This record gives sequence, structure tokens and C-alpha cells, in this order.
Amino acid sequence: MTRSWSAVAPLSDTTATTETDVPALPGDGLREGIVAQLRSDIGAGLVDTLVKPGVDVWARVATESWRDAGLALRESGFHYFCFLSAIDWLPSPFGRGEDDPSAPPPERRTEIVQGYTGGSTRFQVFARLTDIQRHVGITIKADVPDDEQVVDSWTSVFAGADWHERETHEMFGISFRGHPDLRNMYLPTDFEGHPLRKDFPLLARIVKPWPGIVDVEPLPGEPEEADTEGNGE
Amino acid sequence: MGLVDKGRMPKPLTSLFNLGRSYSLWVYQWGLACCAIEMGAAFGSPRYDVMRLGVIPLPASPRQADLVVISGTVTDKMAPAILRLYEQMPEPKYVISMGSCANCGGPYWDSYSVTKGVDQIIPVDVYVPGCPPRPEALLEGVVLLQQRIKNEDMGARWRGEGHKAIVRDPIVVGGGPVE
Repeated sequence: MTRSWSAVAPLSDTTATTETDVPALPGDGLREGIVAQLRSDIGAGLVDTLVKPGVDVWARVATESWRDAGLALRESGFHYFCFLSAIDWLPSPFGRGEDDPSAPPPERRTEIVQGYTGGSTRFQVFARLTDIQRHVGITIKADVPDDEQVVDSWTSVFAGADWHERETHEMFGISFRGHPDLRNMYLPTDFEGHPLRKDFPLLARIVKPWPGIVDVEPLPGEPEEADTEGNGE
Repeated sequence: MGLVDKGRMPKPLTSLFNLGRSYSLWVYQWGLACCAIEMGAAFGSPRYDVMRLGVIPLPASPRQADLVVISGTVTDKMAPAILRLYEQMPEPKYVISMGSCANCGGPYWDSYSVTKGVDQIIPVDVYVPGCPPRPEALLEGVVLLQQRIKNEDMGARWRGEGHKAIVRDPIVVGGGPVE
């Protein structure tokens, strides 16, 4: 059966659409402009940036410019605060939970390597802001000093940063200067340690190591090969 | 009921009371995670109509409830609230632990924040394994609990002796040992 599309009424009147009604897609120039605007706002506080054309933009600012950068971005149109968190770049001293516990542990790197836009400290705070008018987002990072893990609070810039900073405080042990109330958010009040730090031990795994993949079983109709080799899995 | 207080109940009266108790179980739904959705589907939906078993899943408060279903992931932060809930329930009271998380921690066995089984806080009468359990499994747990209630010695329960027996010998839906 063939269908005559001419018999179907159009969903909207397409004749009224002109070329000027189609907004330009956010592209390279847009994100370069954002970086240029941020550089003119906070100057030397902008340490490094990365623009992936048509994809995303990352910016790293100096620790003392963290709050100023948030303020400048808010004033330049990034009104929507997505989230704020932190990254621990330390490679996990416990490995990654390999599938086969009997295999020798693989070589693990121990030096700290930061991601996009680099860095010089173990911890970085980062936040995601969105400009809902221009449909563009930015990821902004700052180093957290290794000796004293404190950065400025964003609560005076975005009120919604309050709970995000509380969570970052309990999970990573990073303090926020100027935050009104850094109580624990999710953890019990008397919890000790910071669970999202890479060197936080999972006691259950120390007591009972990861057993590996134990639920390997043949599909229905396939011959069972596990026991024919004589050593289980 | 002076007879119950003294722990001396004639057998026919005990049977009658147990029959009444087993078919008017007010279930408090303590949903903590995804199993709460499954519990709602099992208790609330017409397909697995639970009221035909004499179970009323609509108490307004733990103080009205005979049975609580702990369904979902129990965290260390939630644990004191569960203990308080259990203490608020009037005797005789029963607990169904629904799902792997409430039974033993489940997939969060190595988590920093998850309690490895609700039986570390409160005594559990029925374990319903599964991730999540089928509604039929939850209803089977209810039925097995009703059978146990029917054979219960109310006087012993009142004196606090039956309670220990339940902790020693919980029901596992589908069989299997309890460690």
C-alpha cells in the first residue's frame, strides 16, 4: 500500500519560515568568544583553556580567582549552575578491582596526571555552568592547594552551590571559605574519612577481596566447559 | 485480656486469635530504593491483589502496623530511623526483609555507606531474596509468615520467648540457609 503524502495536512505552515528565523548553531566562534570574554574579565586568573570546536570548552583558573571566575561567567550569561564537585587525580592505591583476583596485579602508575587543561595539585574543584540563551556550557576548574585544601565558596555567586559544596566537603575533605554551613550532607554525622578520595579504603574489600567474575555460567543449550578443565573457572 | 497477660491462653482461643491476626496484617511499607517500586506493584496492583490474603498495606503510622516490609538499600544513616520505626510498632510485630540489599547489602556489599543487611539492626522474620524479588515471592513470604502466625503460641510471644525463637529460625522464601 502506498500512501499519498499530499493528502496529509502539514503540521505547520512552512511557507512562513525564512532563513533569518533559523538560529546559528553554536560553534567555534562562540566558544572562543566565551574564552576571550573570561580572559578580559579575570585577566591572569585564567590559567589554561581548551576548546573543542562544536563540542565543549574547558577553562582552568587560578585558585584565588575561583569565585571571581564564577561571578564573571554569571555576569556574561551563564545563569544556570549545573553542579560543582571535585576530582582526586591520585591513582588508586587499591587498583581497579580486577576481574581475576588470582592474576598478578598489573603495573600501576603512581604519578598524578591531570586531565584537560592540566593542573599541578592532587585535587581540583570543577563546576559546570550553562548559558541557556546561547545553549552552550562551560566546565571550569581550579586547583586545590595540597597543603591546605580550601577554596572560596560559590554560595554567594550561585545559591544552589550550597549543597554541592557540602557534598564535596564530606566526600573529598575540601573546605570552602565563606560557606555558611559545611555540615555533612549524605554521610552520618560521625562518619570518619572522605569516601571519594582515591586512598579511602573499602573495608569490606580488605576483609574479603573481590572474588572476580563468579557468575559465569553457560547459556542454555551450550555444553558446560567449566568443569571439564578440572579447575573450575 | 488478663489471660494473655498471664501467658496462659486456652488453645482454642489461641487458634482463634491467631487466625484473626494472620488475616488482618497491617503492613507498613518501608520502601528505600528500587524494591519499593516492586513492593508497590505487588501490594497495590490488582494483578497481585494482596488484600485477598488479608493483608492491608495502608496503615497511617507504624503504631498501627503489625508487619513492616523493609524493601531496598539500608544505609548507615537510615539505620537509626529504621530502629525507631521498629520500636514504635506495637507487639506482636513482624519484619519482612525484601530484596538482596535489605537481606545482606546486595550489590553494595563493599560500600562505605550501606548497612550489610537490615538484620544487623532489627530481627527479621522473613527473607525474600531477589534483585528485585518477583511479586509472587513477596506474596509467598507473606503467606509463609501467616502460616507461622497461625501456629504461634501467643502466650510465649507475650512473655518474650517466641521472639527469640523467630530470630533463631527465620523463614527464607525459596529455601536456603541463613548465615
